[in-house]
This record gives sequence, C-alpha cells and structure tokens, in this order.
Amino acid sequence: MASQTPAVVMDNGTGYSKLGFAGNDSPSFVFPTAIATKAGAGSAAGSAPGRPPVANKPSFLAGGGGGASSHLSAKRGTEDLDYFIGDEALAAANGPGYAINYPIRHGQIENWDHMERFWSNSIFKYLRVEPEDHYFLLTEPPLNPPENRENTAEIMFESFNCAGLYIAVQAVLALAASWTSSKVTDRSLTGTVIDSGDGVTHVIPVAEGYVIGSSIKSIPIAGRDITYFVQSLLRDRGEPDSSLKTAEKVKEEYCYVCPDIVKEFARYDREPDRFLKHTVTSPNGRSVSIDVGYERFLAPEIFFNPEIYSSDFLTPLPNVVDGVIQSSPIDVRRGLYKNIVLSGGSTLYKDFGRRLQRDIRHLVDARIRASEARSGGARSGGLDVAVVTHKRQRHGPWFGGSLLGQTPEFRSYCHTKAEYDEIGPSIVRRFALLGGPGSA
Amino acid sequence: MPAYHSIFLEDRDVPVIGNFPVLPLRTRTRGPAYTLPPLPPNADTEVPPDSESYDCVDEILSLFRANVLFRNFEINGPADRMLIYGTLFITECLGKVKPTMTARDAEKALINVALDHFAIPGDVSFPLNQAFEAPRDRQDAETLRSYLSQVRQEIAIRLHARLYPGGVGPSKWWLSFTKRKFMGKSF
Repeated sequence: MASQTPAVVMDNGTGYSKLGFAGNDSPSFVFPTAIATKAGAGSAAGSAPGRPPVANKPSFLAGGGGGASSHLSAKRGTEDLDYFIGDEALAAANGPGYAINYPIRHGQIENWDHMERFWSNSIFKYLRVEPEDHYFLLTEPPLNPPENRENTAEIMFESFNCAGLYIAVQAVLALAASWTSSKVTDRSLTGTVIDSGDGVTHVIPVAEGYVIGSSIKSIPIAGRDITYFVQSLLRDRGEPDSSLKTAEKVKEEYCYVCPDIVKEFARYDREPDRFLKHTVTSPNGRSVSIDVGYERFLAPEIFFNPEIYSSDFLTPLPNVVDGVIQSSPIDVRRGLYKNIVLSGGSTLYKDFGRRLQRDIRHLVDARIRASEARSGGARSGGLDVAVVTHKRQRHGPWFGGSLLGQTPEFRSYCHTKAEYDEIGPSIVRRFALLGGPGSA
Repeated sequence: MPAYHSIFLEDRDVPVIGNFPVLPLRTRTRGPAYTLPPLPPNADTEVPPDSESYDCVDEILSLFRANVLFRNFEINGPADRMLIYGTLFITECLGKVKPTMTARDAEKALINVALDHFAIPGDVSFPLNQAFEAPRDRQDAETLRSYLSQVRQEIAIRLHARLYPGGVGPSKWWLSFTKRKFMGKSF
C-alpha cells in the first residue's frame, strides 16, 4: 500500500545530486548533476557550446506553435533514450559521440528537457522506484521563481505520475539538519545558513521557516577557489605534482582553520612534524610524493581573508554574515545570531565554525561597546553568537529533507496527484511550512 | 582581519627621519641605531615579543610570511613604514637565493644585496615615494642611508639563518614566497 513507502528525497545541486529515501541518515546516491547526450541530432538547442542555454520548458508553458515545442516533439525518437547521467555521463563524455551537459546552473534548472531525463534516470535506473507509490521531496534554491516550481510539478506529476510532491527551500532544510547537533535545543526554523559548496557561498537568513530574500548575500569564494589557491601554493613551491586533482585531495585531507596565521607559521617552525607528505599515484602506476605545508591552514583562510586570494572580492566571511543579519528585520536578529548553521562541503574544515564564531563575536562586541559609549552609561545585556557545527553538514539539505520527510504528518503537507489534476500546476506555488510551529 | 601591523607603533618618542622611524636594533654592525642587548648564547631564533632584545627585524621576519600575501596595507604610523621596507627587502633577498645554492654561496649573495647601492626614500628610483617622505637635508639622508644599511645587513644575516636551519637548505617553504609581491610593489 502506498502509505507504507518512504518518501523519496532528491536534492539536485549545481555540482552534485543527492538521492535517497526519507528516514535514512545518508543519501543512497551522490553523483554529479551531469547528463551526457548524443552530441549530434539528439542534443537540444540549449546545449550548443558558446550559446546561452535556451530554457526548454515543458510544452504548454513554452507557448503553442513556438519553435522550441515543435522541435522538442519532433525529436522524440529513440535517440532520446540514449543518454547517461552522473558519473556514467562523465565517463561517456570522455569517449566519442556524447556531449556533457549540466542542466542546473547557479542552483536553478536551466535546461528542462535535460532535467526531465536526468530525473527519469534517477528514479528508474538509480533509485528503482515506482513514482506512483512514493511521495517526493525536492529542493529548490532560495529565490527560485514560482514558474520553475510549476515546471517541476508538471514534470513530476505528468511525466512521472508521482503520488505526491513537496518542494522545500534548501536553506530551511539545512536548518532542520542542524537539529541533530546537541547544541540545538529548541528546534526553531530561525537562523542564518552559511551554505558553501563548490561554486559559490551563500549566506541566507531564515526567519521561522521563511527566507528573508532581500538580505541574502553570496560570496564568490567556495570550494573550487580553495582548490585553485592550494594549486597555486603547490606551484610556487615547485612540487613535482600540482594538478587540480592533487590540489583537491590535499584540500580535502589536510586543511584546517587556524586562529592566527602568524602564530601558525611560528608553530610550523617549532614543530616540523606539522609538515606532511602526500603520495600521488598516477594512473600508470608511478607514484610521486609531494610535501604539504602552509596550505594546510592558508587555504581555508581565504574565507576569512579573501584578499590573499582574490583582488576583486575583499570582504571576509564573518563581516558578510554580520552584514546580512544587520540588514534583516530587527526583531529576528537575535535569533539569527544565535543560530548560525553551516552546510555544504566547504564548511567541513576543522575549527571552521569556531573561528567564524570568534570573528563574528568580535564584530558584535565591538559594535555593542561603541553604542554603549555613545549612549553615555547604558549597559547592554549582550548578544549571543553561536555557530552550529554538526555531523550532517556535508549533505545538510538532503539530511534535513530526510528528517522532515519521515515525519508522520509529512504527507499532509504535500500536494497529491489528485489535487494537481484538479487545480493545475499553480497549486505548487504555495506549500504549508514543513517542520514549522505545531508540527514535529 | 587585514594584514598585521607593527607593535612598535605603540612606542613613543621614536626618532624619525622624514617619516621613517629609527628603531633600535639588535646588531653588531655599526651605525646610528640604538643597540639593544644581544641574545643570550644558544637562544632560539624566534625571540618572544616581550623580550628586551626583541627588535623590528624580528618582527619583520615573523610577520613576513603572513603579510606578503596581502595586497593592501594601511600605514598607521612610522613603524609600519619600517615593516613595509623590511618586507619588500626580504622579497628582494629571496629573489637572489637560488634553490641550488649552498649555505655559503647564499650568505655571500645575501650580504652583497645588503651592501649594494640602494635607493633611500626620496630618491627617484625608490618605489614607495607616495608613502615615504624624503629626508630634510644631506646630513639626514646620510644618517638614513647608514641606518638602512644596518637594517639590511641584519635582515640578511637573520634571514640566512632561517633559510638554512642547521646549515642545510635553502628552505623551500621560505623560497615559495619569492614571487609574492607585498602591496604589489618590489624594489
């Protein structure tokens, strides 16, 4: 019976897609959000290199008679089924005949035709479920246009015929994921989410489950930049191997955040065993050993001192977070400072949260002292700044979805296929707040 | 957190030439600098900042690896100018040391850089004339030149000790900073 099946949780990000079932503590599949299609006739107009991607919207939204819709329906042949997704797509693209496409850019779906096929493979080839039997929990970035939700619903209900659908904002799910931390006691959906993936870092204030869209800030420094920085440090030193892949490995295995870089340099002078060796084995079996040194703490330092890496973006992450909270409505600021939640792979460095908390606290305390001085004798009650580090940071939004998707009342928050058939795609413009007051 | 500033900014009554400070040095070369007591024998190369022998060269060397990464630096007082001068001079020194040099060759090369003819603030070839004032007269210029010569030699000697710890080297960890340009400038 359908009511027994777990909900399917899919978090499609720019870089990676996380797929799994609600109630599990990690996704069943994590693979690149990439699709390899036949390079020739089969590829959609939007995937031609050098041209901006054309949004291939589902047929009725694209407007009847338009070039896109007739083109789409004309090419529904068998070559349409000849494609790969995820790691297989990357492998296929290395050979002849296939071209790689990334249907999601900057968190938003750009190519709907590719995304539909990506989902189709995700559901039938990877998860191997019957969509009729499962409710689906999908994620969307903050500030996603409602039209995109409608497109998503159209594909989910009409192409896949899924039983029910809920679309949640990633930042809100990341907040829910932090409930696993012992530091979190009140399970509120108010907090500041710092989401740092591969391409970009977002600072998103969330008040009682709703994103404060006007205050979101993004920072052009994230995982990929850290990798580039590690690579440049390896190159400056003339290490025998300084490929991006090696830099990435070094970043993931050895990097941590230090409290003060001058003291850390002195510490490396005193304790030579902090210098490490990393062995790179190339595909042909040869292995070389490279030294790993200052990049261990210098690499994540670019969040706190962007100046050492980039010449156009200079604001440290703690200042950005402080600015975001200061620009939010005054009655939620206290809650935003008290619950700063980390999410995404680039927040996993050891002591990242501790350093962030210290730096934000310095900024806040300095401001309080200044306003105390100006007020002439008034005392402030102080402001609590807490950065929450937890074990589910890496796949924060997915885990939050898994947590909320397993609650008994989850299904009552979803829109079902029957409701969709009655009202139409516009039904997904609104969802009741999952995990908000009164539930869980 | 921006680049690190000098702790000698807090020292009052530091004599200046133009706006360059004449800070005390722990040195054996003769010149106009007030001489600090030498370190006790077999002391660490890293001198704690509260020691009476701690001088601006110690500070320059300990801040170098952090500060050289920065492109912007706000000058908060004369002592920061010393920090800038020293940092840029270390970069110049590192450029002269080749990875294949022995300790002795490198020592010679470093002493040569230190003693070579160099530009002082106010000279046309000095790269930081926007931030540094020229000395008032010939006599001040001579004093500044001999003071800077002391600073350069002291930096060269102590940098050499760090590049060749225990006589082996040069340390690739230090040489990796050769290409970085503090404030986008170089001598």
